[in-house]
Amino acid sequence: MIKVVPSTSRYTVKNEWLESNLSFSFGEYFDEANVKFGPLRVFNDDTVQAGKGFGIHPHREMEIVSIVLKGKLRHEDSLGSNGILQFGNVQVMSAGTGLLHSEMNPSTEEESSFLQLWFIPNQKQLKPSYEDISYNIEAMHNVLLPIVSSSGIEGTATINSDATLYLSKLDSGKELSFQQKPGRKMYVFVIEGELALNHEFLVGQRDSARLSDLEELKIRSTKDTFFLLMDLGGE
Amino acid sequence: MLLVRHAIGSRLFYQTEHYEIKKNEDKWIISFPISYEKAMNIQKFKEELNLFAVEDTQKTWYYSSDAELLFDKDNEQLLVFADHKTVYPI
Repeated sequence: MIKVVPSTSRYTVKNEWLESNLSFSFGEYFDEANVKFGPLRVFNDDTVQAGKGFGIHPHREMEIVSIVLKGKLRHEDSLGSNGILQFGNVQVMSAGTGLLHSEMNPSTEEESSFLQLWFIPNQKQLKPSYEDISYNIEAMHNVLLPIVSSSGIEGTATINSDATLYLSKLDSGKELSFQQKPGRKMYVFVIEGELALNHEFLVGQRDSARLSDLEELKIRSTKDTFFLLMDLGGE
Repeated sequence: MLLVRHAIGSRLFYQTEHYEIKKNEDKWIISFPISYEKAMNIQKFKEELNLFAVEDTQKTWYYSSDAELLFDKDNEQLLVFADHKTVYPI
């Protein structure tokens, strides 16, 4: 089954420093029928104005992935981790028993745009940890480049959840296929461009698709397209 | 002030100035008066609750890793048995 979720159906939180487009129940938005998809619990498409951000706050029992698309994001946490992320970096924070962190846009001029994804961990009360990696932007050209995985794929950040995340920049008219194991799910999010899934389902910019019970997914770009594909456990 | 929030996006479930925190062996028992209806709504999210005791210069974050909550019907109060506590400045 392929369910396309248009960008316009997302819940938007907007104030003077933040625009957050929520694909699943989060904060003030709660829809009992839209809480998670497999282990994916939160998918927020965030834009933070220059010099602003999320001050110190706690997290627990979540695997939190941040993918910076534009601008910069400064991370600091109670584990002593800190750093500035930009396009080409991905961060995985395993909140486990609990940690404190902040995420700020360190720029005085440029806004910061990033995806923040929360996954339900494989087990509770893990020791908190943090990792950020750089991936080769060129290496995602017309292929699925894994950036986060639970299975130790070389070059990926490690997540304690049943998920593998791939990024791809697909030239117009190119096609990729993804073979899926029985019982698993897939999630596609178009960052820029447009995809046709299995030659039938069009997924536009900032739209997503939730896929289950599919053995093979054919991904064809109708224009130059930048997208995220997630291979997810089926529960 | 005590705040009871959802761990997924920090939705505020309840806020009160009237609360008590008692240490009992390795747990903190946080109790506060609340109506039955509001307590039942909080119970729905018992696995994902964060409690914050907010003071002038610091917050103290509590949670129960095994979702241990009890509604005392006689006294109309909710008791949360927290096993994690973190203090941080604000």
